[in-house]
Amino acid sequence: MDDPLVRALDVCRVYGSGPWAVEAVVGATFSIRTGDHLAMVGPSGSGKSTLLHLIAALDRPSSGTIEWPGLGPRDGLRPGPVAVAFQGQSLLPPLTVLENVELPVLLAGGSGYDARAGAERLIAMFELEDVSRRLPEEISAGQAQRASVARALTGTPRLVLADEPTGQQDREGAHRVMRSIIAETGRTGAALVVATHDPAVAAMVSQRWAVDGGRLRTAVPV
Amino acid sequence: MIARRWISGLLRRRRTRIVGAALGVALAVAIVASLGSFFAASKARMTSAAVASVPVDWQIELGRGSNTQSAERTIAAAPGIAAELPVGFADTTGFRAATGGSVQTTGPGMVLGLPPGYASTFPGEIRFLVGAHEGALLAQQTAANLRASVGTTIRVGRQGMPAADITVRGIVDLPDADSLFQVVGAQAGSGPTAPPDNVLLLPSSTWHRMFGPVARAHPDAVREQVHAQLARSLPQDPSAAFAQVSAMARNLEARLAGAGLVGDNLAARLDAARADALYAELLFLFLGIPAVVLACLITAVVGASGADRRRREQALLRVRGAAAGRLVRLAAAEALVVAGAGVIVGLAGAWAAGLLAFGAAGFTGATGQRLLWAGLAAAVGGGLAIAAIVLPARRDARTRSVRSATVTIGRRETPLWARLHLDAVLLLAGALVYWQVVKSGYQVVLAPEGLPTLSVNYVSFLAPLLLWIGSALFAWRLARWVLSRRHALASAARPLAHGLSGAVAASMSRQYRLLSRGLTIVALTAAFAVSTSVFNATFAAQARVDAQLTNGADVTATTAASAGLRSGTLTRVRGLPGVAAAEPMLHRFAYVGNDLQDLYGVDPATIGRATPMSNAFFANGDAAATLDRLASRPDAVLVSDETVHDFQLQPGDLLRLRLQFASDHAYHVVPFHYFGIVREFPTAPRDSFLVANASYVARATGSPAVQTLLIKTDGSPPVMANEVRRVLGPASGATVQDVVTQLRITLSGLTAIDLTGLNRLELAFAFILGAAATGVVLALGFSERRRTFAIASALGARRRQLAAFVWSEALLVSVGGIVIGVLTGWGLAYVIVKILTGVFDPPPDGLSIPWSYLVTLGVVVAGAIAAAATGTIRATERPAVEIFRDL
Repeated sequence: MDDPLVRALDVCRVYGSGPWAVEAVVGATFSIRTGDHLAMVGPSGSGKSTLLHLIAALDRPSSGTIEWPGLGPRDGLRPGPVAVAFQGQSLLPPLTVLENVELPVLLAGGSGYDARAGAERLIAMFELEDVSRRLPEEISAGQAQRASVARALTGTPRLVLADEPTGQQDREGAHRVMRSIIAETGRTGAALVVATHDPAVAAMVSQRWAVDGGRLRTAVPV
Repeated sequence: MIARRWISGLLRRRRTRIVGAALGVALAVAIVASLGSFFAASKARMTSAAVASVPVDWQIELGRGSNTQSAERTIAAAPGIAAELPVGFADTTGFRAATGGSVQTTGPGMVLGLPPGYASTFPGEIRFLVGAHEGALLAQQTAANLRASVGTTIRVGRQGMPAADITVRGIVDLPDADSLFQVVGAQAGSGPTAPPDNVLLLPSSTWHRMFGPVARAHPDAVREQVHAQLARSLPQDPSAAFAQVSAMARNLEARLAGAGLVGDNLAARLDAARADALYAELLFLFLGIPAVVLACLITAVVGASGADRRRREQALLRVRGAAAGRLVRLAAAEALVVAGAGVIVGLAGAWAAGLLAFGAAGFTGATGQRLLWAGLAAAVGGGLAIAAIVLPARRDARTRSVRSATVTIGRRETPLWARLHLDAVLLLAGALVYWQVVKSGYQVVLAPEGLPTLSVNYVSFLAPLLLWIGSALFAWRLARWVLSRRHALASAARPLAHGLSGAVAASMSRQYRLLSRGLTIVALTAAFAVSTSVFNATFAAQARVDAQLTNGADVTATTAASAGLRSGTLTRVRGLPGVAAAEPMLHRFAYVGNDLQDLYGVDPATIGRATPMSNAFFANGDAAATLDRLASRPDAVLVSDETVHDFQLQPGDLLRLRLQFASDHAYHVVPFHYFGIVREFPTAPRDSFLVANASYVARATGSPAVQTLLIKTDGSPPVMANEVRRVLGPASGATVQDVVTQLRITLSGLTAIDLTGLNRLELAFAFILGAAATGVVLALGFSERRRTFAIASALGARRRQLAAFVWSEALLVSVGGIVIGVLTGWGLAYVIVKILTGVFDPPPDGLSIPWSYLVTLGVVVAGAIAAAATGTIRATERPAVEIFRDL
């Protein structure tokens, strides 16, 4: 059996110390394999984003171990095999939507031609053609969110992490965005982890993990 | 309550912004307080130095036939008079002495009758050289003419009466002869008259005995003055002191009701000091104001670097219902904290600057002045904080929508000034004003004839002012143009950014406002540093030239005009190790009409070996051509502008001078021909003088005696001076002076002190401004875009790739700014040096470049840029989520 893309063992993340310490993630043990599509579901403040950041190597656990045996060393995860669509405003302000979407390919050393071609395809997929030459401050929050998702999918990553990718969309729009994400990751064989509090979004994904109070209550055994 | 919470939050989460703005305010406050205190203190120094340099404040000439005792009582009782003594002046037909087996006679002269205690009351008037301090005292030049010494009996000629014999008890020098023998009540506009060549000082009792009868028979030959010293309670400002003294003099004349006329030496000296003060004011305007403005601009940029975030914060507050008034109050609270911290740090900085630069915290100024300037500086600091923080908040709250307030990049718009080409208009206007100043002959300090006032031609200040503003706008335009050329930017960024060059160029192009502002500030700072340091270097170079002129060469050996250096001295000096060249120069006196002038005899072909012959010495601006013309004809002579004007000379005109012949020590006519105008010459006085061929003068007068030796050395001038003294020996009577010692004397002059001090302050601030303009402004700009760098880091950007963004911007702003700034600074230095020609003595041929200072400044600036860039890159090494959380 192939190595899992991500393997975590008893991972904890604590912010602060003493009586003001906040346990954002407690004793999380899980693994993610190629092709997995899963949703982390939980209310706001349950630790979904923290878990996502740990998986993306954007943060380090306070205890426990997290490895990426199927993706390579930690330093080489981004840009490349791991891509993240952040929850809030995460487009670079001085770059247009198109330039933002093609940026990960350029950061990974790809050619400008490949970056532009891939970006235009994804911009069309997420219905952003009309705003591709606009700056982030000139588009709506929903358009900015779709652009952030498109950016995460460019460069064909092997693991896509999306934090509340439909929070700024209406119901119909949320549905379209999720369909596009699932179709694209299905096409490339990438694993997908979506953090969401929306049951309708979670229902579109094949696996579901529940996160509550920092604890992961459902996971695929190691 | 809300304001307190707001400030507490800012101090915890926006510390960089608060500290940066406070430091900007501190810089402006420090500069204003330092320069202002220095400027005020320098005026007070000028006044006190002028007062201390006057031997006799007033010489009150008593009218013939007036009741002298009544007049003396009136003078003694006048307000402000601290001491007064009567002095008699009597014309003599000449002196005669039989010495060394021959009889020497002089021409007409003057005999002064001095009361007891005169020397102690007016110590600057008489310098005792040899012999007693009382009795008959002979002036040095007269003693030389008569070959008289202590104990010699001389015969004093008296008009209409037999001569009287008197025994010389001492030899003296009269350092202030020009004012001592001034014609009191001369017509305005009339030139100064030379002091008498032959002078004898007698005790007043002896004088009255000798010349009392002459006064009765020939009242025109005798007159009396009262010399007065005023109480030292004058205002510190030279202009105010001048006005007060002049008013006191007029008041005394009114009290005397025609019985006396006041020769106001003190007012004359204060008049020069107030001209110096006006020049100091000009220096403050030309060199000080740009420093203040630049500091304010940097403060504004520092304040503006937080404007976008501040605007977003206000937008959030407005969304949650905060009214415009509350937003303004919160901004005012922030401004208060920034201004308070900035003023305290700034005043401490000014205190330290005074201590470091002058050893006195307040630049030796009065407490009141220091407090005044501290208050002004604090007001400037407060105003800056309001302008940078409160006014934008007020404007945004009233005119901007919440949505527009969140815009940070914005689309490219051409501002109104650019559409109107204001930069070109201002540069052209500045050039026109400069041309006008050139046409007026650089008259910046105006002394209208017949008026007691002096004024500054402030219009001349417009030239550099318009050039400053025009250059700043042009730099901005140039930066915008460069930043609009994305393809060129991408190509330029490729060595650093490789595949990211397009993204880097796009990012830089869209942040044109931020980068244009930064580049312009760097350009202005570089222009300020270059213009100030070049002006300072040029002044220092001219001070050395002045010292060289005054001293004549690296080392100069001189004797009195009536004597000469021992034969063989030239050969012995040329043989000394370290002597690069030694040239002889004759120094004689010549009558031009009735005017006695110094005459210098040189070999035009070789004089330049020992001392530089500057083009500025000669009216035609060509030293080589003028000396060639002098050499082309043995009897050629160079004269002063005044002599040409007085005698209406044309080139080639015959000029009959009277020189003293060696055979009989009498003055005889020697023909010369006028061939050019000389304005400056090594060792020559500021008065009119003549330069001729030494061989012709020696032949005509029968004396080849050399009075001056000009020596150029490869080594240390003071060391060489000691060697020359050893060669000459103590009995030679020659004075040996070196240029290093002379430079020290030159730089102790009033304007020199103030200009040197002002420049020292400004050069120090230029370092701070340079570091602030580049490092701090860059760092704050990067700090405000931490989110951008955090996002890029979260996307996986490597350190090298983030560095490409950072360094591309840093290099554009710094290199572009420095290049434009250096060019602008050089141009400004040229204009300022030309306009302030009156400060230089002599006027410079060209600009001097202070390479070591500029290289050091470049290193400081490069260090600041590197610190800002590497600090920014290092900050992105924190986990991205931590940065997101902080933001």
